[in-house]
Amino acid sequence: MNIDWYIVLSALLFTIGAIGILVRRSPMVILLCLELMLNAGNLALVAFSREVGNGQGQVFALVVMVIAACEVVVGLGLIVAIFRRRLPLDVDDLRELRG
Amino acid sequence: MSATSWAWLVLLFPLLGSITIALGFRRTSWRFAGIVGTGAIALAFVCGIAALITLLGESPDARHHTSALWEYASVASLQIKLGIYVDPLSVFMILVVSGVSTLIHLYSFGYMQSDEGYHRFFSYLNFFVFSMLLLVLAGNFVLLIVGWAFVGFASYALISFWYRRTTATRAGIKAFVINVVGDIGLVLAAFLIFQQLGTFEYTEVFAKAPQVFHTNEWTVTAICLLLLVGAFAKSAQLPLHTWLPDAMEGPTPVSSLIHAATMVTAGVYLIARTHVLFVLAPTAADIAAFGGLATLLVAATIALVMTDLKRAIAYSTMSQIGYMIVGVSIGAYSAGLFHLMTHAFFKALLFMAAGSIIAAMANEQNIDKMSGFGKAMRFTSVTMLCGGLALAAFPFTAGFFSKDEILAYASARGGMYLIFTILGYFGALLTAIYTFRLIFRVLGGKPCAEAQELIDTGHGAHAEAPFNPATGETEDTDIGFPGAVHHFAEGSPPMKVAMGILAFLALFAGFIQVPGVDETITHFLDPVFADSPLAAIHPTTSASWFGLLIGGLISVAGVGIAYLLYVARPDTPRRLQERFAAVHTFLYNKWYFDEAIDILVVRPALAVGRFADNVFERIVIDGAITGGTEETVGRAGVIVRTFQNGIVRTYGLFLVFGAVGLALYFLIQQS
Amino acid sequence: MINALLWVPLAFGVVGLFLPRRAVGWWATAGAAVTLAIGVIMAFGFENGAAGLQDTVDTTWISGLGVNYSLGIDGLNLFLVLLTAVLWTGGIAFAAFRERDRPRLFFFLMLAAETGTLGSFLSQDLLLFVLFFDLMLVPFYFLFGAWGIDRTAEGGPTAARATLKMMIYTLIGSLLMLVGAIATAIVSAHGGHLTFSIEAIQHQGVPVGSQRWIFWFFAAAFLVKMPAFLVHGWMPDTYRAAPLSTLVVFSGVLAKVGAYGFLRIVLPLFPQATTQFQTVILLLALGSILYGSVMAFTQTNLRLIAGYSSVAQLGFITIGIFALRADGSDGAVLQMVNHGLVVAAIFIIIGILVERSGTEDLRSMGGMAMRAPVFAALFLIVALATLAMPGSANFVGEFYILNGLFESKIVFAFIAISAVAMSAYYALRLYIGTMHNRRPDGILSREIGLRDGIVLAPLVLCILGLALYPQLILHRADPSVQQSVSAATGSEGGTVVTTEGKAPELQVIR
Repeated sequence: MNIDWYIVLSALLFTIGAIGILVRRSPMVILLCLELMLNAGNLALVAFSREVGNGQGQVFALVVMVIAACEVVVGLGLIVAIFRRRLPLDVDDLRELRG
Repeated sequence: MSATSWAWLVLLFPLLGSITIALGFRRTSWRFAGIVGTGAIALAFVCGIAALITLLGESPDARHHTSALWEYASVASLQIKLGIYVDPLSVFMILVVSGVSTLIHLYSFGYMQSDEGYHRFFSYLNFFVFSMLLLVLAGNFVLLIVGWAFVGFASYALISFWYRRTTATRAGIKAFVINVVGDIGLVLAAFLIFQQLGTFEYTEVFAKAPQVFHTNEWTVTAICLLLLVGAFAKSAQLPLHTWLPDAMEGPTPVSSLIHAATMVTAGVYLIARTHVLFVLAPTAADIAAFGGLATLLVAATIALVMTDLKRAIAYSTMSQIGYMIVGVSIGAYSAGLFHLMTHAFFKALLFMAAGSIIAAMANEQNIDKMSGFGKAMRFTSVTMLCGGLALAAFPFTAGFFSKDEILAYASARGGMYLIFTILGYFGALLTAIYTFRLIFRVLGGKPCAEAQELIDTGHGAHAEAPFNPATGETEDTDIGFPGAVHHFAEGSPPMKVAMGILAFLALFAGFIQVPGVDETITHFLDPVFADSPLAAIHPTTSASWFGLLIGGLISVAGVGIAYLLYVARPDTPRRLQERFAAVHTFLYNKWYFDEAIDILVVRPALAVGRFADNVFERIVIDGAITGGTEETVGRAGVIVRTFQNGIVRTYGLFLVFGAVGLALYFLIQQS
Repeated sequence: MINALLWVPLAFGVVGLFLPRRAVGWWATAGAAVTLAIGVIMAFGFENGAAGLQDTVDTTWISGLGVNYSLGIDGLNLFLVLLTAVLWTGGIAFAAFRERDRPRLFFFLMLAAETGTLGSFLSQDLLLFVLFFDLMLVPFYFLFGAWGIDRTAEGGPTAARATLKMMIYTLIGSLLMLVGAIATAIVSAHGGHLTFSIEAIQHQGVPVGSQRWIFWFFAAAFLVKMPAFLVHGWMPDTYRAAPLSTLVVFSGVLAKVGAYGFLRIVLPLFPQATTQFQTVILLLALGSILYGSVMAFTQTNLRLIAGYSSVAQLGFITIGIFALRADGSDGAVLQMVNHGLVVAAIFIIIGILVERSGTEDLRSMGGMAMRAPVFAALFLIVALATLAMPGSANFVGEFYILNGLFESKIVFAFIAISAVAMSAYYALRLYIGTMHNRRPDGILSREIGLRDGIVLAPLVLCILGLALYPQLILHRADPSVQQSVSAATGSEGGTVVTTEGKAPELQVIR
């Protein structure tokens, strides 16, 4: 079985995610796109793991999933906090950290 | 007990007294402070006597001892012990210092009675005595410097005792800073001694010096000149004298104790103590002698025209110390130290009498406003007369024997040193005139209002409001000023006792050192100075008596001139003053020494300070160096800041570009 | 033991974050006091007369880089550690008596700073030293910035801006030092195994060519920290901005880290560069002395008088070290402790004065001794120690320093000693201007309270105790100092034979 297609798919997913982050302004969508990128990474990891023949890549994938879960928790929490303060849910307007 | 144990006790009592009084200032009465203070010094005096007796019990050659408590500051390369050195010279100084101090404490017990700062006064006074004793007992140069600086501090603290007078605090800081200049001289001298001889201990220094130094070698001359800076600053010799007249801002007992009897003579002690070095550096010794001579004459001329009673006596003190400096510098060690002792008696007495009169004048110090106290204050005026006679070296008083002994030695040494004899006698004439100018004007004549009030009511005068005698401005009557009630000798037994004893000593102390008869001091001090070739020079008894004859005549003549000027023809001084207005202004302004120092030292220093503050700090430090650093960092910050626009998506873009860039890099590397 | 000493303050600080607001001040004071107690116990266990490190801890931290967690005590840092512990106890107690907002964070930062400072004194590893050197600054950044005083009304900067200035300044210095430290390790390894241990590097030796530039990288950090003349620009603004209780420790201890760094690192590691640049550093230090003294007697702000006098004093300490003689450096070590005690006491006194008068301007003060004899007496003792009155330990320190300088560079000694007269003037001016003369309206003359008394009195007792027995420090410091100095001068023992004067003959006489 050729690994190429897995990699291509992973790259596609990753690009979609990245473009999504760059063009969308809703934090919700950005969060989803981030997930997409992470999972693209996971796909690649698992595929490589299969190719090489040991379990290391899969362990990495598990770690990434845990991190993704954490990230979602924090991210959603932030979004809820922003929503509660009645701030605009638009990342371009939330630029308090401008230097 | 050994002599050193007694000497340690001599140090201990005043220190304990000072601490006790200071710690107990809230709980104890003024009487307690006075008794403890006076008692502590009296005990020190008793211990000094004990040390003297112990020392006399030994053979003259063995009369020197060292003792150390602990290593004060010692490392591998240099050692400093907390040690003392006891020999006839230090015991002599102990006795003079603690003896006179006891009497002055007794005097202060009455004089300062109604002052709010009574505890503080006695604590400082005891601390001063401790420091002075430390100075004379120190066994090495470092401890000497410590004592030297301690007396300087005590002097400062007591000059600005009435610290809410701006004049007093200014005088205090002036005295302190000039004394620090002297300290620096001593410290540098100590460094040079250490560099050359590798030790600070007296015994080792004096033993090694003659082997290491050639006569008049530049190093030993430099050491002596540096020592002289210290000695001249402390002993108020030209040109470091300007603090002493201002020091009269302090309470009168302070002027009496510190600025007449003890501290200001420390320079004399120092030269006598380091005579080994001065013998090796005759040039430096001559410079010292001429410095003393110049001071002697300059101060005497200023004393002729001063109208402030205490300041006039202060200039007289400078002049008399000039005699002592001349004495110990040219080799008349025991004569110089003998004059130190008699001067302590009569000058302390004169200040006490002056204090008594100033108290009766409700703090007024201008002699133009005083007259007729001879009738108003019998006791004070009699004692003042005794002191005045001794100061004027009237025949058979204490000053008569001591002053002439120095001059006789100078003539015996001959050559260039005859100058000292001749000008010394001229100074003696001036001394007699200015002394009796004060006495005739203050004690004689028609009683002034205050004196009349004293005669009529028996009570001293009161000013309506307390005022500062230096500026005339009125003062608030809170803590830190002389009390409302003034005490003078007639109403205060302790003051009477102190003045009585001193009057006796001023008149008769000279008889312990009569040429050809007893010469007690010389015999006692001989072992100390035995190593100096100059000590071998001795005026013959007949020469001494011839000198005494001339001195007596000059003194009588001086008193006569003063009588003519101030009693017989009282308008002559005014006419002289008008005729020689320029001279009078010159003298009245104290030869413009203060102004010269102001222009040469104080103003440049302040100008440099202002320049540093306004120009250098602003432009170079804040502008160029700090500003430059800040500017660079700031500019860089502005550039970096443009990337930090707060839009998350921009950051994301950078991230992607970065990742792509990295990926491309690795790809290119691969291929 | 040494680990406890280092980490106890931080531990107390962390726990303090969870305590009620009222108690936290006392908790922090207790923490500092415990640290002090540990320090005192260690000092008692200190073996006198030994030059080497004692009480060492040495474990591998980052093995790949050769960085060790290595601590130790010797004659150089023993009393600086004690000084740190004493002053932090005093400074924290002084602060604990006063209300302030966000006390938990304040005291946490104070204690964290203590750990940082102790760490830089104790560490025997170059990288560990650099780390602590920077770490100790971080808490002060927040302390000064957040609790500081804005001077905008007087035309000065805000607290935050003044603090930023200090940070930029000192960070530039310490970044250079970081570069220098790494370079030292790499260069000295000569391609072999990398190590940051000071002792090992000293053993391996640093090539002379590299020493020249690395010397200046370290010197930059230390001179800024002191601060020395020309790089003291951050000092006036920072001193005016900082809260007084933090200034007690900042001025008392942190400045000493710079001087200590010279003795601990620069002299042993870069001996050739040290002798080569001796004159340059001496000139800078002389500049500090004269400039600091002159500025101190023209300033009217109390803090700045104390600040500039510190510049002058640190100048003295530097010339003591760079006299490159054991006695000069002995004096420098003694003087570091003395000056720390004195300047801390001065800042506490200034704090009390400012509370009574509501101003920091000397010209509008006066007459405060009237109802406050005890306070006046304590102040007087401190003022006299500041001006290095003979009889105080400060005098012994300066005496040693100047004696060392006198033996090696006589001209410098003559110039430096003139500053002593100036110090007499500015110290007394400070005392007289506040305590004596007439009392202007609106200034209280109130006796020192019991609470301030128990902070100030022990410091004064320390000053008095050292005055009686400076040997306490000199004796213990001397062997280590000799080791450091002889590393730089290449000669054994204390005496360095100079070419001037008659010094060579001296040996014969002795």
